[in-house]
Amino acid sequence: MLRRGKITDDRVALDKVTVCYGRRVALEAISGTFEPGSLTAVVGPNGAGKSTLLAAIANVIRPARGRIDRPPPRRLAYLPQQSAIDRDYPISVLELITLGGWQEYGAFRAPRAALRMRAAEAAASVGLSERLGRRIGQLSVGEMQRALFARLVLQDARVILLDEPFAAIDEQTRSVLLGQVTRWHRQGRTVVTVLHDLDLVRAWFPSTLVLARRSLAWGATKTALPAMAA
Amino acid sequence: MSLHALLIAPFETLAFMRGALVACLALAVANGTVGTLLVLRRMSLDGDVLGHAVMPGAAVGFLYAGPSPTWLSLGGLISGLSVAALAGIGGGRQARHEAGLLAFYLMALSLGVLLVAWRGSNVDVMRVLFGTVLAIDRHALWQIAAAASVILLAIAALYRPLAVASLDPGFLRAAGARQPYGAVFASMVVLALVANFQSFGTLLAVGPMLLPAAAARCWDIGVAASMALAILFGFVASVAGLLVSYHGNVPSGPAIVLAAGALFAASLIGTRGLRLLATRLGGRE
Repeated sequence: MLRRGKITDDRVALDKVTVCYGRRVALEAISGTFEPGSLTAVVGPNGAGKSTLLAAIANVIRPARGRIDRPPPRRLAYLPQQSAIDRDYPISVLELITLGGWQEYGAFRAPRAALRMRAAEAAASVGLSERLGRRIGQLSVGEMQRALFARLVLQDARVILLDEPFAAIDEQTRSVLLGQVTRWHRQGRTVVTVLHDLDLVRAWFPSTLVLARRSLAWGATKTALPAMAA
Repeated sequence: MSLHALLIAPFETLAFMRGALVACLALAVANGTVGTLLVLRRMSLDGDVLGHAVMPGAAVGFLYAGPSPTWLSLGGLISGLSVAALAGIGGGRQARHEAGLLAFYLMALSLGVLLVAWRGSNVDVMRVLFGTVLAIDRHALWQIAAAASVILLAIAALYRPLAVASLDPGFLRAAGARQPYGAVFASMVVLALVANFQSFGTLLAVGPMLLPAAAARCWDIGVAASMALAILFGFVASVAGLLVSYHGNVPSGPAIVLAAGALFAASLIGTRGLRLLATRLGGRE
C-alpha cells in the first residue's frame, strides 16, 4: 500500500482534552499522542470514558476544553459499538461494505464496478464471500462485525478507531479480525482499539492507554498495563 | 350493479371525485417516498408531532383569510418548519423527550381548535381536523402537485445520503459529511404534511403518509422498492377509500386512511403467514 502524505499527518495528538455530558465529566485533561503507525489498546473500568475518547477523536462529540489534532475525515475511520447500526435495514452485505468507499463516489453517484470489486475482495479477506448477497439482518453478530471490518478495509484510512470490536463475538471471528488489525498495523496505519480482555492486550497490542476518566498510564503495554490492576 | 358502475362511473360522472382522486394520487407519490424514509428512520412519532405542529399555523392562516388553501398551507408550513427547527427533529438521535413531544402535540392541537372555533363554525373545525378531500379545487390541486414534485425531486437528489443516514447516522458524520441532510428531510416531511393537510386534516394527515409505507416495509424489500410499493399501496388505498366513501356514503378521508390501514394489517399478517409457511415447508435455513 502506498503511503500518501507526510507521516506526521497520521498522528492523533490530544492536548488537555476534557469532555462533559451535561454536568458529568466523562474525560478530564487527557494529553498525549497516538504516534503514526502505533497500535494502542485503550483499557479501563466501565464508565472510564473509553468510548467517549474514541468518539471525541472521531469528531462525533466535541470536547468542552482542550484540543485534538487529527487527520482530516477521509483519512480517519471510526467503528462505534455495534448497537449504532439498524440491523433491520433492508440493505445487502455487499452494499454495506461498499459504503466504505463513500468518499470516492460521494452522495450523488453510484459506486463504480471497480469499487464493488474491492468490496468483494475486502469481504473475502474477512471470510464473508459466501454472504455478500444476504441482508444484514440475516448475519450473526460475528458476521456483522466482519462486514463492518470489511467496510473499514475499503475506507482505507490512515487512522482507525475501533470501539470494543471483539465484544460478544465467537472465537473464530475474533482471530480473523485480530488478523486484520495486525495487517493494518503492518501497513503502518495508526490503530486505536478499546478493549476489555487484558490477555488479548498483552498478546497483541504494543501500546496501552489506561483510562479512568483521567489518563492513568500511557505507553508500552508492559509498563502501562500494571496501572490497570492498581 | 355492473363493474363499470361500481368502479368507474363515480369518477366519470362527478368532478369532485376526479379532483379527489388526482389529489390522492399525487399525494401518494410524495407520501410513499417521505413515509418510507420516516419508517426506516424510526421517526413515526416525529411525523405525528409535526402533523400537529402544522395546526396552529394553519389556524392563524384561517383567522386571517378564512378557509383559503393558500393561507392555510402557508401558515401550516411556517409553524411546521419552526417546530421542526426548535425541536431539532432530524438533527440526529439525541435523548428523546417523548413526554415533551406529546405535551407539545396536544397543545398545538388544542390551540388550533380554539383559534378556528373562535372565528369559525363547527364545520370549519371539522374541516381542519379531518380535511375535505372532496372539496379540492383546481387551485389546491396545483399546490399539491407542486409540493409532491418538489418532494420527489429533493428525495431523488438526496436519496443516497438520506438512506445511509437512516442506516448508520454516525457513519456519515464520521466520514466528514457536514451537510444538514436531517434538516432537509424534516423540511420535506413538513411540506408533505402540509400538502396532506387540506385533504386529510391535522388528525389524519400522518395516516396516508405512514400507513402505506409501514405496509410496504413489512415485505422486507430494498429501500427504493419499498418506496415504489408504498406509492402503489397509496394508490390502491386512495381508489378503494374513495369508492367506499361514495357507495357507502361515509366520509372520504377516514375511508382512505382505513383502507391504507387495512393494507398494513394485511401486509403484516400476510408476511408473517408466508414466513411461517416457509419455515414449515423448508425447515432449513
